[in-house]
Amino acid sequence: MTREPRAVALKGVRKRFGDVTAVADVDLEIRPGELMVLVGPSGCGKSTLLRLIAGLEERDAGEVWIGDRCVDEVAPGGRDVAMVFQSYALYPHMTVAENLGFGLRVRGAGTAATEARVSEVAGVLGLRGLLSRRPGQLSGGQQQRVALGRAMVRDPGVFLFDEPLSNLDAALRLQTRDEIAALHRRLGTTMIFVTHDQVEALSLGQRVAVMDRGRVQQVGTPHEVYRRPANLFVAGFVGSPPMNRLPLVRDREERLAGGPFVFPGPFPHREATLGVRPEDLALAVVAPPGPDPNPEFTATALRVESLGSEQRVHLDGPGEAAWVARAPSALYVTAGDRVSVSVAWERTHLFGADGGRIGAAPRPVRGSRP
Amino acid sequence: MRGEGAARVIPLVAAGAAAAAGVVILAVAADAPSRARERATRAEARAAASLYELPGVAEADVLSLLDGRARIVAPEAGGSGPGAHAYRAGALEPAAWIAVEPRDEGGRWPWAASVLALFGALCMAAWAAGRRRSPPPPRFPAAPAFLCAATFALVAVAAQQWAHGELGAMSSSRLAGALRAAEAAGAAGADFETAARAAGLPWASSAALGEPDRIWTMPREVGEAIAADPRLRSAARYTVAAGGATYHGGAVALRRGPGARAETPDDTLHLVFLGYEETASPTVALTAAALGSALVVSLVLFLLPLAARPRALSGTLAAWGFLTPAAALLLLFTFGPLLFSLWISLHDWRLVDPAHPFAGLANYRALLSDGAWWSAVRNTGVFTLHVPLAMAVALSLALLTRESRRAVRWARLALFLPSITSVVAIAVVWKWLLNDGYGLANRALGAIGLGPVAWLSSPDAALVSLMVIGVWMVVGYQMVVFQAGLAAIPRVWYDAARVDGAGPWQRFRHITLPGLRHTLFFVLVTSVIGSFQVFGLVYVMTEGGPLGATDVAVYHIYREAWEFLRFGNAAAMSWILFGVVFAATWLHFRLLERRGAHA
Repeated sequence: MTREPRAVALKGVRKRFGDVTAVADVDLEIRPGELMVLVGPSGCGKSTLLRLIAGLEERDAGEVWIGDRCVDEVAPGGRDVAMVFQSYALYPHMTVAENLGFGLRVRGAGTAATEARVSEVAGVLGLRGLLSRRPGQLSGGQQQRVALGRAMVRDPGVFLFDEPLSNLDAALRLQTRDEIAALHRRLGTTMIFVTHDQVEALSLGQRVAVMDRGRVQQVGTPHEVYRRPANLFVAGFVGSPPMNRLPLVRDREERLAGGPFVFPGPFPHREATLGVRPEDLALAVVAPPGPDPNPEFTATALRVESLGSEQRVHLDGPGEAAWVARAPSALYVTAGDRVSVSVAWERTHLFGADGGRIGAAPRPVRGSRP
Repeated sequence: MRGEGAARVIPLVAAGAAAAAGVVILAVAADAPSRARERATRAEARAAASLYELPGVAEADVLSLLDGRARIVAPEAGGSGPGAHAYRAGALEPAAWIAVEPRDEGGRWPWAASVLALFGALCMAAWAAGRRRSPPPPRFPAAPAFLCAATFALVAVAAQQWAHGELGAMSSSRLAGALRAAEAAGAAGADFETAARAAGLPWASSAALGEPDRIWTMPREVGEAIAADPRLRSAARYTVAAGGATYHGGAVALRRGPGARAETPDDTLHLVFLGYEETASPTVALTAAALGSALVVSLVLFLLPLAARPRALSGTLAAWGFLTPAAALLLLFTFGPLLFSLWISLHDWRLVDPAHPFAGLANYRALLSDGAWWSAVRNTGVFTLHVPLAMAVALSLALLTRESRRAVRWARLALFLPSITSVVAIAVVWKWLLNDGYGLANRALGAIGLGPVAWLSSPDAALVSLMVIGVWMVVGYQMVVFQAGLAAIPRVWYDAARVDGAGPWQRFRHITLPGLRHTLFFVLVTSVIGSFQVFGLVYVMTEGGPLGATDVAVYHIYREAWEFLRFGNAAAMSWILFGVVFAATWLHFRLLERRGAHA
């Protein structure tokens, strides 16, 4: 019964609400059968983009392609997409069965066919016992399943998810996330999933599109987005705690300097930003008498958060910046301790003045004590 | 500890209060017969004394008339002899007193009512004892209060039945005594008037009964009723229902002198007596006693457990203190008039007649066959058909103005104006617009070559014209309510339906209508109720005409009361209308509750 998955292509799509540009000239290609996650802070345009794909919003410019046809003049019902909404949008006056079958009924499917399909989907989602209830009599998780089932019933070419997990509690959210991933593996349908939660995005998506201010900042696999962020926004948005930063300025000898570090030039940029993930810092408690074998810099631990499996150590350096380091829980460090910090330079990032990534930072010529 | 003590006391107090309440009711019931007995005894003493005035009546005759209950008391005793009642007998020399003891009959105790009252008291005690273990609920004990009121109402009904029987028996024995007195007087050669005075009752001769103009001393209606029924005239004793009351009557054939028998109808003296059961009916007092005692009992039950918790008690008293002014206003100006109109509807109440005899359900029964009333009801029903029409128009307008805020604002302003304008002003303007001769409507029709329409002066068109104006008046209000209802339907349902492939009609059918069902229902019920009560429009524009074509229920009631001054009928009509509106409202709330539980 499952159909050929559809590709979705956005070509220069633009949408404005009054003076606000919600989606600015977005080009994005979603491959057939792919689970693509659109992620970004609230107001970045990701939901608008999804609604443009569904046809619930009129685009101002550009084209939306689903499969091999341009659907710009096609009504939402004709686009071969199904959508799961954040609030589930179940019809409160219909039973679960009626909710599930609504999409088939309004398309003129016969009663027998509708019932058979509803029963099949209800079986897959474990909703058989709830078919005669109304949405008001269901728990949040059950409502979520019904919303999912309503999308599945029509067997669409593309599934659209608009933050479907944000109304669930933490445990149920994890469980449902796994179920959606499993569903994707089983159905093999193209899915576009919108979320503001970067952890959800990284764990669920085959590819992730990070959006900000109506533009796609980077598209890539979760690993690419995390390890090779295209710009400062992506670097800051993806990862928790966010990437540590240090502003660098070019000195007279064409070297970049900031805090205790001086990087050998020549550099074409006047200014740059050094980015280091908290896990790429290694800490050692400074023993009072002896010098550290390879100290990049030393700093004072301002605060230590213990998360059980690891610790987050808030440092008062380097320079003006306050960095956070992840340390193994075995390291004995308390607030006020002097710590020496070494940096895994091959995994650091240098961002140019425009925020774009230049590459990994070279090993600095010297690291001085602040 | 104190709570337990109070809990132990509650059943006792409850039983005591209930028993006291029962005693109050029985005392009220017993009071009427005892007062009637007193009056009967006085009347017998008076009759005996006046018999002494007649020559030829022996003292023994008089005393035997009173079955040995009478004694001659010496003058110096001054009427304070052994009997309960005494009357000065002027014919005895020196002036003596006749002391009469009350009759024994009519002294049975109302056992049935007593048993009921006892049962009620036991029930109250059992209820109070049963809730000893659980903490007292903070609410007013509505269910026990209702049970209590029901029990006491039963007690009151039983006591009323008893009192009615007693009073009836006393009325007939009073009449029997009077007839014997009249007979004794006649035997002594007295004429009709003298004999009747000795009997102490209104009277008429047989001849006078047939000619209403000659009935002077008897209530005319009673006399006519006796004259109209030959069976009554031949009976020695009878009861007559006349003028809304029960009279006990009897005939005495007077002998003119020793041995002379009455030969002609002229010789029969008819005496009538307005029965005690009608004049001393304790219905109102009993009802008040039952309700009052129920209130007292439930108040005691409510306050007693609280007495063990002084803070709760003071809080409760303070709350009731704050409630009292509003409750008193409500009772005085809402429930009071309501009950008074119910009272009126049960009486033959005309403004021109000071007497308001009890009519029972006669007013209601009369309405069943009152063609004009049913015509008014039918007109009201037809007029109400404008409600669905108005709702369709209002819903369409609300849907049309849905997308644009500016349109919403202008439509609201324009269409809501009729709802906030005085009905009289609207009616006057419309009356002018629809005038046959100079009205704008007919002039506009004339301008395009169409003949004038008798908008308000033709029986066929008048009600339809009023309905059109009715639509115009309510459409704005309904539209605003629908707009609010539409705004409350989440947009995301429409989004989901669009993705599901539903077209505009399917979205209206499956999303808008179900989403608006509470609003639609609310508007329907309130508009129908409002339509049942239409008055101002009819009063100003058509005055129910032409030919009663626009005579609606409220206008009909108004005319019945203030033009024909038949308040009883009007009150009965009002209560029928009230019943209909009440049923509609009750249904409304019931369905709302049920739907609210599902939403």
